Amino acid sequence: MRCPTLLALLAGVMLYLVIGALVFRTLESPKESKEHEKLLHTTRDFLQNHSCVTAQNLSDLIKSVVKAVEAGLDVKHSSTNFTSRWDLASAFFFCGTIITTIGFGNLSPRTKWGQLFCVCYALVGIPMFGFLLAGVGDHMGTGLRKAVWKMETLFLKQRVSPTYVRVMSAVLSILIGCLIFLAVPTLVFKEVEDWSFLEALYFVVITLTTVGFGDYVAGSNRKDGDLFKPLVWLWIVFGLAYFASILTMIGNWLRVLSKKTRAEMEELRAHATDWTQNIQNMSMDFRIPNPLDLNDPFLLQRRRWKRSTRRRVRRGALGHRGRQGVIGENGHLPNRWVTHTSSMTRLEVVRLGGGEVRTEGARLGPGVGLGVGLRPDCRVSARSEGRSLGRTVARSLSMPAARSMMELDYDPDPIATMMMPWESGSVSESPESDSRSVVSSSDSHTSEVCTAGQGIPFASFDPSGGLCTEQRGRQGVSRLVYFTEDVRFPVPLQQLPKSPNSTKPIPMSPISSVTPLPPPPGCKMLDFFGENLAYIDESSDALSDRNQPVEGGVSPLPRIHRMRRQLPHRSPLRERRDSDLQPPSNPPTPPPLSHLRD
Amino acid sequence: MSSGYKSWILLTGFILFYVAYLLLGALVFSTIERPVEDKLKRDIQVLKEEFLNQSCVNATSLENFLERVLQANKYGVSILPNSSASSNWDLASSLFFANTLVTTVGYGHTTPLSDTGKAFSIFYALLGVPFTMLVLTACVQRLMHLVTYGPIGMCRQRIGLDPLAATAIHFAILLLLVVLGFFVVPAVVFSHIEDTWSFLDAIYFCFITLCTIGLGDYVPGEKPGQKFRSLYKISVMVYLFVGLMMMYLVLRAFHRMADLHGLTSFFQLPHCDEDIEEDKEPIIEAGPEDQHEAEASAKPLDPASQTSYNTINR
Repeated sequence: MRCPTLLALLAGVMLYLVIGALVFRTLESPKESKEHEKLLHTTRDFLQNHSCVTAQNLSDLIKSVVKAVEAGLDVKHSSTNFTSRWDLASAFFFCGTIITTIGFGNLSPRTKWGQLFCVCYALVGIPMFGFLLAGVGDHMGTGLRKAVWKMETLFLKQRVSPTYVRVMSAVLSILIGCLIFLAVPTLVFKEVEDWSFLEALYFVVITLTTVGFGDYVAGSNRKDGDLFKPLVWLWIVFGLAYFASILTMIGNWLRVLSKKTRAEMEELRAHATDWTQNIQNMSMDFRIPNPLDLNDPFLLQRRRWKRSTRRRVRRGALGHRGRQGVIGENGHLPNRWVTHTSSMTRLEVVRLGGGEVRTEGARLGPGVGLGVGLRPDCRVSARSEGRSLGRTVARSLSMPAARSMMELDYDPDPIATMMMPWESGSVSESPESDSRSVVSSSDSHTSEVCTAGQGIPFASFDPSGGLCTEQRGRQGVSRLVYFTEDVRFPVPLQQLPKSPNSTKPIPMSPISSVTPLPPPPGCKMLDFFGENLAYIDESSDALSDRNQPVEGGVSPLPRIHRMRRQLPHRSPLRERRDSDLQPPSNPPTPPPLSHLRD
Repeated sequence: MSSGYKSWILLTGFILFYVAYLLLGALVFSTIERPVEDKLKRDIQVLKEEFLNQSCVNATSLENFLERVLQANKYGVSILPNSSASSNWDLASSLFFANTLVTTVGYGHTTPLSDTGKAFSIFYALLGVPFTMLVLTACVQRLMHLVTYGPIGMCRQRIGLDPLAATAIHFAILLLLVVLGFFVVPAVVFSHIEDTWSFLDAIYFCFITLCTIGLGDYVPGEKPGQKFRSLYKISVMVYLFVGLMMMYLVLRAFHRMADLHGLTSFFQLPHCDEDIEEDKEPIIEAGPEDQHEAEASAKPLDPASQTSYNTINR
């Protein structure tokens, strides 16, 4: 934690203490002086009524009685049969209060040996209890989170917004815990100990925060029997574990927030530098048209790439630095920066959420985030083979489609990288204002979606939580990729024969510093192949009934099927998208194989 | 799944062992304290009888009177002549009370009497306890760099000790220093200031306070006619805060050491995970090659390091 933050926190605590002191003084002093007066009254009356008692005798008696009471004796019932307060149940309870560091104090050791033993006992017992609490809290926390996750999935199935679900799950988990560990014991104590509701609540809170004043202690009167005290102690253990897990949860949220802000700051900084450079380079080639028209076989294509990149990354293709030699081939620069951002956000999500998110991250594949940077490679290489991609695609996809995709897509697939550029491309018209409006529109898109999706980064079920951090990563990626995609156009079109729609102005912004990695040679063939098949698939999709799951009739490739089965949630997306989609009119042009072989 | 089972089994075993520990403690306390309690009770009985014998007071009125006195005493209001001057709720004492509430020590020598006071304590504690924990953790984090990572790194580089041995030695030294500085020395000071406390009482008080148990049988500054009472209470507050920080530091250093020695994974306990992300350096500083790695991986974030688009030959 930074120094200024720490100092601010310290000052905050001091201020808090002073405020509390003032309030307590205002609240308590009047009552205290009243009590004092009443006592003086009583003493005076007593002395007057019983004149043979001198004040000195009385004060002596009182002193010894008070000392006895402080030693823990119960002087009120002066019965001759002596029931010790140190019977086994009470001693057990006392040990429990020592170990949990509550320390009521209604009972405490008076002898030297007792005190010495107390010290040694606590030295061993407190850490032990700490471990126990950690273990219990862990299990309880996981159990609670599983239950909450089940509820969350239930809600998500009904297409409630993820933010809402997360907030609700957080609130629910707190409520459930509060109910079990605060409300129910309060009522129980109110009944059994005959306290008022406020006193019972006061006791519960003071005990569970381990303050433990000792003015109210449950089970202090004997008539409740010996079963009550162990039950109270059990409640204390679980209540403490619950409080501890709540505190860790709050701590996790704060940590996530602070990390996200830091990550965002980093990204924004890098974006800004990057963008200024892009603007400079933009003036050079913005007039190159975007001739090609493709529909969205990209969706499927990208999925294929994702899987292939995932496979590649799993095989250890993290060495993107090794690909630097291939710069000149298609004008790409190593996209280390992009990869790192997304990998950073991914790893953050993985780390932050704790155990459960780790499993989630593992499920989604470590390569997914890292593959973000790699993905545009293949696309770009495909394009460098002469196919320019869809402005029409962009127009065909409406904004809500992209937004819904980003929201509902918990697969951290940067659909945004695909869709955003196209979208923005459709909006802009003139070259220069294009770039700016494009950037602003993409800005607004991502910022909108991200603020919508942010909510509380509740660490429990975090594919959706990972959504927003992923989006943050994607935000950067998407904007960069936007430039990337448009950058590609000047390059291939110069290599290719002139395309017909050169009159259409396209916002071209050659990327200066951020380009995707040059793809491995096998990617090109795969891409072309995949793109064609994807197109075929998509066309069959668009034409068939939307709600039906796509059978494997058209595309024989088993990979696409597996992907379909993996992503059943895309059907609502597809519905909305298909509504805007025209049946694919322009089949993908075959790539100029001459360029492939370069 | 076997590890899950193993963790469950460990947990139950742990709980059982814990219960056994509690029972053992209960037995020992019972055996030690009960005779003393008996004696005290008998003494009080004798005293009361003497009082009743020599005066015209009857038992019931005495009982009533004593009840009132004791009730007032429970709230800290004493009838004894010397203590009528100072209130329990002047500013310094209230600050002390707020501090004990927020650090969860909770002596209980003064407790809120009014209903509003109780309600306010509830909210104050619910907010203040996490707040204090946060501040303490933050302070401890920064202190860890200073106290733990620095010396250990230095130790390793200069003397070239094995990391395990270095951490163990460092922890032992830290523990010794903390015990000396925060238990022995304050105990001496307290036993001097408070005349009714012996040295053992003072050490017992320091321990019970710094573990936030706070039984409340010994509370400094409650003596009637205490000189510089406000200053005394405030300095006890500072001692409490700093001492708590030190205890957390020791605990954290111990956790780290246990991590390093593999104890936490052996007992399947949670690791000291949070530090790994936030601290820039591990407890054993990385060698020069690791630092190069770290720097190299950090480099791509700097856009200036990327070659610009213009350098691509078309």
